[in-house]
Amino acid sequence: MDDNKENRTVIEAEVPMGTVHPGALEPYRLRLFVEDEIVRDAEMTVGVNHRGVERIMEGLPVEKANSLTEKICGICSNSHIWNSCRVGEIALGIEVPERAVYIRVIMGELERLHSHLLYLAHGSEVLGHETFAMRLFYIRETVMELLRMIGGNRVQYGSAVLGGVRPRCELDQMRIQKLSEGIELLKEKLNDFANRFVSDPLVMSRITGVGVTKPEDALRLACSGPTLRATGVEMDLRTGMYEYDSFEFDVITQDDGDVKSQLLTRVFENFESIKIIQQAIRNLPDGPITNRSWEMQDTPITKSYIEVPRGTLYHSYALEDGRVRNSVIRTPSMANIGAMQYSAIGHHITDAQLCIVQCDPCFTCTDRAIQIIKR
Amino acid sequence: MELTYPLIAVIGTLATSFIVSLFLPGIERKFIHARIQQRVGPPITSPGIMAPIKFFFKQTINPESPMPKLYNALPLISIIIIIILLLVLIPQMYFLGALTSIIAVIGLLKVEEIMYMFMGSLSKSVLSVRMPFPDRAKGAAHPNTPRTFFEELSSLRAFRLIAFGSFPIYIALFVSVAMTGSIYLTDIVAYQQANGPILFTLSGVLGAIVFFIGYMILLNEYPFAILKGKPDVVEGPYLEYAAKYRAYVYITRGFLMFTLATLFATLFLGIAPNILNPNFIITLVVALIFPMIMAVMSAFSPIFTYKQFYPTVAGVSIVGVLAIVAALL
Repeated sequence: MDDNKENRTVIEAEVPMGTVHPGALEPYRLRLFVEDEIVRDAEMTVGVNHRGVERIMEGLPVEKANSLTEKICGICSNSHIWNSCRVGEIALGIEVPERAVYIRVIMGELERLHSHLLYLAHGSEVLGHETFAMRLFYIRETVMELLRMIGGNRVQYGSAVLGGVRPRCELDQMRIQKLSEGIELLKEKLNDFANRFVSDPLVMSRITGVGVTKPEDALRLACSGPTLRATGVEMDLRTGMYEYDSFEFDVITQDDGDVKSQLLTRVFENFESIKIIQQAIRNLPDGPITNRSWEMQDTPITKSYIEVPRGTLYHSYALEDGRVRNSVIRTPSMANIGAMQYSAIGHHITDAQLCIVQCDPCFTCTDRAIQIIKR
Repeated sequence: MELTYPLIAVIGTLATSFIVSLFLPGIERKFIHARIQQRVGPPITSPGIMAPIKFFFKQTINPESPMPKLYNALPLISIIIIIILLLVLIPQMYFLGALTSIIAVIGLLKVEEIMYMFMGSLSKSVLSVRMPFPDRAKGAAHPNTPRTFFEELSSLRAFRLIAFGSFPIYIALFVSVAMTGSIYLTDIVAYQQANGPILFTLSGVLGAIVFFIGYMILLNEYPFAILKGKPDVVEGPYLEYAAKYRAYVYITRGFLMFTLATLFATLFLGIAPNILNPNFIITLVVALIFPMIMAVMSAFSPIFTYKQFYPTVAGVSIVGVLAIVAALL
């Protein structure tokens, strides 16, 4: 507590938000220290939604544990099960069939599309532009239906399994055609929206120059994913993932690091995702979708990092008698919390929520016990 | 007989206005917002009629207010002020002299605005209650900072609205004064009956635009909803109104929408509200058109912060001043 002494500056007032606040979608506690409605400092606390998924995973058979990771997040559920299976596959040396890799990429990119569209809709809502939010939800609906077609559900698709993808997620000709048509429709709708969005002077005046995070600060705060790329840092784990070796796409970056850059990064990333899905549909290889010829064995702690819609997702666990041990999961929002606090400082209190939302937070899946190692 | 006609006119106008005003929030939300956003929307009677009825039968809560009775009385006072405002616009009440002048109208509107300030400063909801111990969770940077209640924040904003936010509507009111050379409503109406509506002149058009922006600001509608912006000040001054008190708040808003439209019809079209005058239908049309245009504008706008709010108010006020200058010339 004595560490805080030097920080005890005179602040006019505190505006507390949460942990339950009608203006916030998720439970988190935000303390805004304001002077004449300008935020001078911000403090964010999560932890009221801790479910202890890693603890529940402890001792579960690996297949069950993988399924459980899908429940961590309702938005990037596929990313969790994908990465969890990836840990097992790396540890056990399982080779994933090429067709399964393509289907995983399609699911991953569809999830990125729906996540980014949800982000844009939420951002619009926080801006007070409910009409944009509604339109984005309508656009997102196309993606949700495609996900439902492939995975059978709109939220928990359960597509990845150890060694490939679930038979339910096989893409036959009819599904490929529907997917292709859906993606074309989405591209058209998204194009219209993007043009309308960037040409709206009122929206642009609200988001330009607000919540700026400089690239050096973003790196210092260990930001990841689109939050980092919107500050101009070109870093996307997909460029190093073997799954994306056969796909061509651009890493989207923006220069300003403000809310506008954050929103536009997601808008343009959507077009890249569409590009990747179209390549996957065009070049989808034939063959099996699951490799079942592998044997369970004990493995040391194995790590896997993948690029998910919100940033870098980390999973690691060891295997002992086919059961999971020492599971650790770190979601991207944990890395971006620093930027959320930082970017709100110096801005009007009405923009504070916008500054938080611009980093695409998902606090419910972020809530886990962490140990900070000071170096 | 001499008293019957004015009584019917006054009571009939008030009753009709009240009934129509109950439908305005529904029309705004069902036919404009919902249609633009491609959704079904609520039933037309829901926001203005069914919701207040529902709230009337709910159990109320005691607000965490230093003066709970006064706090609960404020929506009723607001309704009474708006009823008085509508009353002074009715031609049969013009015998009240100075009470039926633009100055009195401005005074009543100011009192209405001050209500928001009182509501905000008298409410201290649980959302901002201090914890009974120093806030030192996870290395809190500022553990002993005084807390601001959301409603206090909205109260301060209401003060800013009184200070400068409502300039446009007051400037617009003086366009008709400048044109007619009188502050009395009776003269303003008589002038327009003789010379045609002010709306059809250059200064009238400019004044109407300024009036409309002022109307939106006074009603705290998007994009000018700084009193009750969702992301920070939820519901602002109304936060602790429950049950019948919230019903009063809902009714007040609809009635204010109608009364301001009536004020516009009186000042810019020369049609004072009178149920026995066939031109009253034009007042009703204006009362319908205003929320519709407002709903279209609000559906396509984000919430303004001061960065957008100040220049908009300043710009619109300048246009209002130009309208007055044009009227004087």
